[in-house]
Amino acid sequence: MSQQGIFTRVFLLEILKGLSLTFRKLFAKPVTVQYPEQKKPLAPGFRGRHALVRDPETGKDRCIGCYRCAQVCPAQCIFIETERDPETRKRIVKRYEIDALRCIFCGYCEEVCPVNAIVLTEFYEYSGYSRQDLYFNKEKLLQNWDEFIVTQKRPYFNPFWRPRGIPVEKLPAPKRKAEGV
Amino acid sequence: MAPTLEIIKKQQTEDIWDEPYFVNMGPQHPATHGVLRLFLELNGETIVRCDPRIGYLHRGVEKLSEFRTYAQDMLLTDRLDYIASAANNVGYCLAVEKLMGLEVPRRAQILRVIACEMARIASHLLWLATHALDIGAMTVFLYCFRDREWLLDIFEMMCGARLTVSYPRIGGVRMDVTPEIIDELYKFTEEFPKRIPEYETLIDVNRIWLKRTKGIAVVSGQEAVNLGLTGPSLRGSGVPYDLRRSVPYLIYDELDFEVAVEFEGDVYARYRVRMKEMREANKIIRQCLDKLSGTEGEPVLAENAPDLLMPFGKIKRPQAAPHPKKGYVVRGVELPVVPEGEVYVATEVPKGELGFYIVSDGTGHPWRMRIRAPSFVHISAIPAMCEGQMVADLIAVIGSVDIVLGECDR
Ligand code: SF4
Ligand code: SF4
Repeated sequence: MSQQGIFTRVFLLEILKGLSLTFRKLFAKPVTVQYPEQKKPLAPGFRGRHALVRDPETGKDRCIGCYRCAQVCPAQCIFIETERDPETRKRIVKRYEIDALRCIFCGYCEEVCPVNAIVLTEFYEYSGYSRQDLYFNKEKLLQNWDEFIVTQKRPYFNPFWRPRGIPVEKLPAPKRKAEGV
Repeated sequence: MAPTLEIIKKQQTEDIWDEPYFVNMGPQHPATHGVLRLFLELNGETIVRCDPRIGYLHRGVEKLSEFRTYAQDMLLTDRLDYIASAANNVGYCLAVEKLMGLEVPRRAQILRVIACEMARIASHLLWLATHALDIGAMTVFLYCFRDREWLLDIFEMMCGARLTVSYPRIGGVRMDVTPEIIDELYKFTEEFPKRIPEYETLIDVNRIWLKRTKGIAVVSGQEAVNLGLTGPSLRGSGVPYDLRRSVPYLIYDELDFEVAVEFEGDVYARYRVRMKEMREANKIIRQCLDKLSGTEGEPVLAENAPDLLMPFGKIKRPQAAPHPKKGYVVRGVELPVVPEGEVYVATEVPKGELGFYIVSDGTGHPWRMRIRAPSFVHISAIPAMCEGQMVADLIAVIGSVDIVLGECDR
């Protein structure tokens, strides 16, 4: 064994090198986030809890009951019921429910919705004591939106409402000129 | 009394026993990277026979895919190898695009390569973290997670999710990147090559690490090919086979990178291959970012790409013009959504060769989809690799072939 080899073996050089690295890290800036007190800023377009957008003009949801989201949902967790207004023949959304426990947070629903009525908000801290707590009906979904929008800068625009770089011909007409709320 | 019980009783009552005895390792063992159960026949501390039992994470992805449209199936592929989900998505999308004859825009191709290579780095970092932790190096684990977190943050900026990204879609990608993401990626590619030596200082020459990995589970090149190993596990045995090079897809043929190869074929060699690959992946991301600036403003979705909302069955169109006297003779024409046929596309994911074999009958959902998962093949190679080794080395062997049970059991 060469002299160098003996030297390394006896004085555990490589271990000392490793220890010096960890020792240096003692004084480096910590990368940890003290979670409940401190929160990491989320990127825009984070796919979190669902909400139905409350239209600032009408104060109601924007959903037109076209069933696209329910059809595209791979987990089949959106349930919609509609009926026709007997006089104006307009479609009324009677029931709009999302089972958040089955959702896989793919974002397909907000991407196909032609009027941007549904959105996955940048809010992830929610839990419930029972399955019912995470079964959102229409009122709960609108309430989710109210809870979420007060934390945001207005106008709020979700990237999935008009995905960047998608040619306009591929988008439904209302999505092409979608604006923040 | 059952024979196993007899053996246990004998083991408890007698001082010396010379016949082999049986040990169950897993399914809830932290070093099995999921829920793998290994049934071991031991002679003292030497492994006589090892018998992997799989299926604890079976979700029936292949069967499920027959009841969803092609666009929805892409989300199932996220859940195969959940550590590198972007790479799986790309493989699946390439298969469907080949079936449909779609041409993906150049910008989308570059973005896909970036996503793939980011997934490769993230996967190798997680592999290094857990592999080192299994063998006993705790610090590397923390450093690797620190850097993986950065990549996950970039994924979050790109598409809104951290783990199950579903970033590509059939015919392109879901969203273009913003300048901030490109800046962040530039920062990452600058910084990351400086981080790799940190891990290497800790374990590369560490004598405990070397004792645990050098000369363990040696597989020669011929054996590795016979066992069906792919990816870094094969390249650790000196076979320079990389699908990115040998069957280039996306824009890999334009990129300048080296195929990482080591010749020893032991656990240490496989570790070296992955470290080299991380450096190469970093180089690839860098080159792609430079290419990306040349395609500013181009669309990221093909003109004739299918919508997310695909029809499940065939498209039904009414007959173009009614017959002047008889009205509609045929009540509608059925058009295929995806051309009939079958296709096999293999891509190089961090674990090895991931293949998608899709049979289409013209409807909007696969008639049959079969996934060739690298982890499945690698698990079947574990018995051959660990025979005659010590029990403690088994941990190193499982770690070195890099398995993810979500992909193996599907
Ligand atoms: S995010 Fe995906 S799974 Fe969840 S409700 Fe929307 S479409 Fe369904
Ligand atoms: S796609 Fe939009 S408008 Fe149509 S039903 Fe769903 S939420 Fe309502």
